[in-house]
Amino acid sequence: MLLDVSRPGPGVLGSLHRIGALARHNLILRLRDPGQMISYVAMPMVLMLVLKPLYVRALDGGATQVATGLMVMFSVFAISLAGNAILSERTWRTWDRLRVSQAPAAELLIGKTLPLFVVMVAQQSILLVYGCLAIGLPVPSMPHLVLLAILVWAFALLAIGAVLATLVRSHGELSVISDVGALTLSSLGGALVPLSLMPEWAQLAAHASPGYWALIMMQSAVAGDVAGTLRPAAVVLVIGVLAGVFAARRLARGWGRGGLL
Amino acid sequence: MLVATDLVKRYGEIQALDGFTLSVAAGEIVGLLGHNGAGKTTFVEIVSHLIRQDGGTVTIDGKPPSAVRGQVGVAPQHIALYPSATVREHLELYGRLSGLRRAALNSAIEDLAVMLRLTDLMDRRAGKLSGGQQRRTQAATALVHRPGLLLLDEPTAGADLETRQAMLDVVKQRAGEGAAVVYTTHYLPELTELQATIAVARDGRVIARGTYEELAKDLPGEVRVTLEDEEEIRISTSDPAATLIDLLHRTDRRISSVDVRNASLDDLYRSLAVHDAP
Repeated sequence: MLLDVSRPGPGVLGSLHRIGALARHNLILRLRDPGQMISYVAMPMVLMLVLKPLYVRALDGGATQVATGLMVMFSVFAISLAGNAILSERTWRTWDRLRVSQAPAAELLIGKTLPLFVVMVAQQSILLVYGCLAIGLPVPSMPHLVLLAILVWAFALLAIGAVLATLVRSHGELSVISDVGALTLSSLGGALVPLSLMPEWAQLAAHASPGYWALIMMQSAVAGDVAGTLRPAAVVLVIGVLAGVFAARRLARGWGRGGLL
Repeated sequence: MLVATDLVKRYGEIQALDGFTLSVAAGEIVGLLGHNGAGKTTFVEIVSHLIRQDGGTVTIDGKPPSAVRGQVGVAPQHIALYPSATVREHLELYGRLSGLRRAALNSAIEDLAVMLRLTDLMDRRAGKLSGGQQRRTQAATALVHRPGLLLLDEPTAGADLETRQAMLDVVKQRAGEGAAVVYTTHYLPELTELQATIAVARDGRVIARGTYEELAKDLPGEVRVTLEDEEEIRISTSDPAATLIDLLHRTDRRISSVDVRNASLDDLYRSLAVHDAP
């Protein structure tokens, strides 16, 4: 018995069913390739331990700076996770294959990025918990504020990674852009050296870096400063939404026979 | 089932489709022939709703492709599989995306695995499969939800004999159940086995459409006679049998062998699609 081509997809339940199928599939793919994520968790843990004495002696709140700074820096590195996952759909030619399915572009994107979002949230959470346990980061008085900051930052990173995936020509190009970009944006944002110690021009330029807003947001959230968290969270959210809309529009069209790749 | 009328598609300077018209009825297999660049893949992409045409119309059961998303089975020309996912995981993904659940999904997967000879490969990752096994897996992802319209773009390109036979068997079976099938290929004998009607594309349009008999009736066949002294006589003719009888009447020399050949699908293809092609 053949499928009746006039049968529509069944509403919200059908949509959830398809998103669930995509998320499950992408989670399987992610779990089979864990190396990059493990390195983005292990590396900052080691660096936090190594750099802690230096920061604690040099700065008031040195433990907070080293824990949140390296957490932000290595979470930016994780942009390449999102970028690679989406770019692979192009190199494997599977994105167009999915676009032929019953799932509209929004469902494809949500199903694709949901496992990545969970992975990014897990990375940041693990590093903050590690910071509290091993580095001396003060235990947050308002954990839900920290969770909000992590969710907003993970969303923005995911969206930026998706944008990169739609713009680059190869995995090599993505790797270079995400690594150099991560170092530049997070350093400029004060992840390595506190902003107050940076030259005046750098302090001004820092406002253009998402890493700057993320770091302020994280440090404010850890300190339990609601107003200090929400303002940068709004900026990060706007960056994420803009990037997300751009990526969604590009991906909905597919790569087709365009000039990229 | 599928009606495409006067499709036009341009990529910059390249006119990919230029008034491409093709209809396919339920239960019909159409062999879409044409040299590279004739517009076959562009046509498949438009019907799949991957790209939009610049002009013309397409309807599937009276609806535009956007309204029947996912209810068309597409096996693209290039392999499009996740290297680290198993065959079963591919079929589960595409089955679920088409709305199949548990029992129905498992039953559809098991049936296809048998038909496409994938049973022993279900837990193997796609990246570890041979080219032919990947072709069969890709076809299975297009068939798992039993679509009413199948678009198979060179599904046997580079495939081994086992893959080719499995593919032809399952296509015939689905057409027998009422599916409309568009089958692009460069392997012409496959179309004879599929008993497909034929559409020949050239320069972005369909230039000939019909059964093999209809299209080949005016094409010359050939009579080849080898005489006792190894001399060979070849005559191109629209009526090979009558020509042979006439030749036998006229010659008094001993004949060592006779070969009578009607126009083949290859001849038809060459005469229409390749001849004068850019």
